[in-house]
Amino acid sequence: MTGESRKVLKARITTALVFFVVLFVALVSRAYQLQILSGEALKARAERQHKDVLELHTERGKIFDRNGKVLAASTHVDSVGVHPSMIKDHEKTATELARILNTNKKTVRAKLKEQRSFSWIARKISPEQSQRIRALNISGIQLVKEPRRFYTNRGLASHVLGFVGTDENGLEGLEFKYDKYLKQVARKISWGRDARGNQFCMDERGGTSNDEKNNHLILTIDSRIQHVVERQLQEALKETGAHKGTAIVMDPRTGEILAMACVPDFNPTVFYRYSDEIRKNRAVADSFDPGSIFKPFVIAAALDEGVVSPDELVDCENGRYTVGKKVIREAENKKFRELTLRDILKYSSNIGSAKIAERLGKERFYRRMKQFGFGSRTAIDLPGEASGIMRSSELWTDVDLATIAFGQGVSVTAIQMIAALSGIANNGVIMRPQVVRGIIDNRGQVIREFTPSVMGRAVSAETARIITSYLTGVVGDKDGTGQNAQILNIAVAGKTGTAQKYDFTERRYSSEKVIASFLGFFPANDPRMTVLVVLDEPQRKRWGGQAAAPVFREVAQQVIRCFDNGIGEQEYVAEPLDMEIKNAAIEEITCDPSHDGKSFIPDFTGRTMGEVVRIARERNIDVRLSGTGWAVKQNPAPGAFCDDKTVCAVLFRPAY
Amino acid sequence: MSITWVNHDWRDGTVVKIDRRLILNIDWVLLCLVLLITGIGLLNLYSTGSNLTHSTAKPFYMKQLSWIMMGLVIMIVAASVDYHFVIRYGYVIYCISLLLLIWVFVQGHIVHGSQRWIVLGGFSFQPSELVKLTVIIALTKYIAENKFGDKYHISNLAVPFAVVAIPCSLIAMQPDLGTALFIFMLFFSLILFVGVNRKTVMTFIVSGMVIAPLLWFFIKDYQRQRILTFLNPERDPLGAGYHIIQSIIAIGSGGITGKGFLKGTQSQLKFLPEQQTDFVFSVFAEEWGFLGTVVVLFLFLSLVLWGVKIARNSRDLSGTILALGITVLIFWAVFINIAMVLGILPVVGIPLPFMSYGGSSMVVLMTGVGLLLNVSMRRFMLQS
Repeated sequence: MTGESRKVLKARITTALVFFVVLFVALVSRAYQLQILSGEALKARAERQHKDVLELHTERGKIFDRNGKVLAASTHVDSVGVHPSMIKDHEKTATELARILNTNKKTVRAKLKEQRSFSWIARKISPEQSQRIRALNISGIQLVKEPRRFYTNRGLASHVLGFVGTDENGLEGLEFKYDKYLKQVARKISWGRDARGNQFCMDERGGTSNDEKNNHLILTIDSRIQHVVERQLQEALKETGAHKGTAIVMDPRTGEILAMACVPDFNPTVFYRYSDEIRKNRAVADSFDPGSIFKPFVIAAALDEGVVSPDELVDCENGRYTVGKKVIREAENKKFRELTLRDILKYSSNIGSAKIAERLGKERFYRRMKQFGFGSRTAIDLPGEASGIMRSSELWTDVDLATIAFGQGVSVTAIQMIAALSGIANNGVIMRPQVVRGIIDNRGQVIREFTPSVMGRAVSAETARIITSYLTGVVGDKDGTGQNAQILNIAVAGKTGTAQKYDFTERRYSSEKVIASFLGFFPANDPRMTVLVVLDEPQRKRWGGQAAAPVFREVAQQVIRCFDNGIGEQEYVAEPLDMEIKNAAIEEITCDPSHDGKSFIPDFTGRTMGEVVRIARERNIDVRLSGTGWAVKQNPAPGAFCDDKTVCAVLFRPAY
Repeated sequence: MSITWVNHDWRDGTVVKIDRRLILNIDWVLLCLVLLITGIGLLNLYSTGSNLTHSTAKPFYMKQLSWIMMGLVIMIVAASVDYHFVIRYGYVIYCISLLLLIWVFVQGHIVHGSQRWIVLGGFSFQPSELVKLTVIIALTKYIAENKFGDKYHISNLAVPFAVVAIPCSLIAMQPDLGTALFIFMLFFSLILFVGVNRKTVMTFIVSGMVIAPLLWFFIKDYQRQRILTFLNPERDPLGAGYHIIQSIIAIGSGGITGKGFLKGTQSQLKFLPEQQTDFVFSVFAEEWGFLGTVVVLFLFLSLVLWGVKIARNSRDLSGTILALGITVLIFWAVFINIAMVLGILPVVGIPLPFMSYGGSSMVVLMTGVGLLLNVSMRRFMLQS
């Protein structure tokens, strides 16, 4: 090669060299763009292609009454889902499933053909249905155990407990309020899937075992009293033809609610069948004009302020008293001349109350009523509490002052009412109403305790004693309005009420529609229970003394008779929790057949030693056991893969 | 400016002459680069063969290993025979490969709807792969024997054009338009390197502009789809665009460090199509990430640059053209394949040298590397 030709050749070679390098740099730049700049986005896209996450809800904590009786618990029922890619005969499968599930064939078929690795066909089906589906033995149709909430007696104290949705989240009541304690971390299972739609399990996270984390509520509710109250209220509705009824039983010394019932009630398991109006806890969410049951607080305030003295006679104007342009009359147009404070309550004199309120004056009257808790929430541990309506005293006319004195023109909730009277029963100190006593964990250890708390003093102990004696007269005296509330051998203090309902269409108080109520406590000398009964629009016995007082009497009598010492205090002891209901969902999940020889470690926790041994033998897993009692810990965790060599260590502890 | 080519005809009767100096001069860098890339390719094929859900009955990597072994033997032979001897019989070798190509039509083995394969004693073989190399040998012979002053005129290109056009039309009829165009690219690369006058360049450009639209009507529907898909992969993500989208997802999801050996979800779960052959690099990039990609690209670039070095150091023109031809063959195959899996070129069936599964490609490339070694070893054997 000549020197010159070599030079030209070398120049061309250098050109080629540069060309090669430039194109390689282009490739590297593109790789940089894909792998580093859009790496995360493409990673997410890849995940979407091959991964599906199924959330399985673990069981919620239980709700116990004050004696350890279960009011709400979760058990496992089957849900049926489908892996659409594994279905071979869509038509036949859809027909069979629709027949068993009583659903539309078309919707089932659509689910079978969905472009997803897994979709639910029906959630929480009955055991019979699940048995029939299992018998079909169609590959690709999977039964997954899911917890389902059940309630004692189809919903004892349903308004207090509330209910949970399909996904086991609390929607109302205590289930809602204490959701973060009751709800468990959902168990997540990832489903891998290859390009041909074959599936296999990849991993699972969260909520693998529910040992210490499971929290349970202990209520102040006594399910026996609750049961009595609900039954009596229902009978009262039948007897009086009232539309609705509410009753609360409270321990005045602690503020603990022993029973809280609204009728008509609902079954929380199938809450969706009821209207919002029925599901609402009307004992805290509804307010009403109290009527005469408001009078004791007026008298108490006046006595406490010293504007009247116990032995003073109040001129009751012979049944006709004009305030401004309004003429105030007694109920049933009765006429009283002069009445003592005791008699004003006994005969429930409107004019007497109005005149005492006048003596207090608007500002002082308003302040005292606020002190009783009217017009503001009691802060009971239930959601949806209303505050009632207590307009500011500056807005009151003289007529307002007079009518509020007998419970018209003021709006209260049932819980406010019972808390206020409990204050009088409790020597003038109002306790904050509460329905939850504490939260315990799976071993019965109390992890949070809600001790009784004081809302404030409403009146002096002396005033409370005097009012109690007046209210005892209302029930106990021959001519008192509350005679129907008398109980043999036990002094009852109480007050009847018959409030005219405000008719919003006619903008005046209706003469036909009334709220009949009775508010009282017993024994009068050592109050253990305060009871409020409110009946909305009774059709037949329209007076509080006729309609509501007998309910009070029946409840009180049964509580005293049946529970002997029931009026007294009982320390609660958590019963051993029902360990049978276990989260066995994971056991039901079958894996890709190519993993033969490997299997999942089941969840042993909460099982007895015998059960663990039996399951281990069935599933050919070697176990090493230590301790006694129930299984509390295991290693490997449930859901882990195991083969012949795996030894699962299980630790047992006595439950409590 | 004029270039005078000096020809060195090998007139010695001995065909294979093993000299002590030859063995001493073995190009270890070239050999190591090829073995390294081939090793990585084999490991990568092992990964495509393993699977989370299924075990493949016939492992690809085992078959590939036997092809590599066969390729290494042929490589030694190709390195031993003096390349001047090979070039002297260049047209004969070329004609034999043409006959094999014609044989495809006589006794074609149908794979993926086109006749590309012949079966030789239990092995299936793709003559079109072989033609890539024989065309280079034939072109080398023509260029080395015909000096046309400084630049080729269009008239001088009649013979080399015919040399390329005959196998290309046969291959295009298989139909395998990708390989046919690939061989044309080799031809143009070499001719441009050797030097053509301006008129010829203009003729190329004009004829290219005329032929390209005509080609649009000539090519099959699936090929048209590929080009449209390249322009917009998302227009049919589950159909024509599926390959390229899956490839981009696989590569991109590898990120910086990759998902790890045997852990590439997109390839292991078979979302990625053709993962042993055309899209083998996607598997690698998914499992080894950007770092792995850079390493492999660097190895390939080193190989190409080393090939250029061999061409430059050759003492005669035939060695230079032969080495450069083989280097260009490797370069275009690497660039087109990786650019395709990265989504910057349309999908064409060009396998990735030394990494894609396939016996024909492997054996032919090993032969090419043998010839490169051949040129490299003999650079001291000649006096100029």
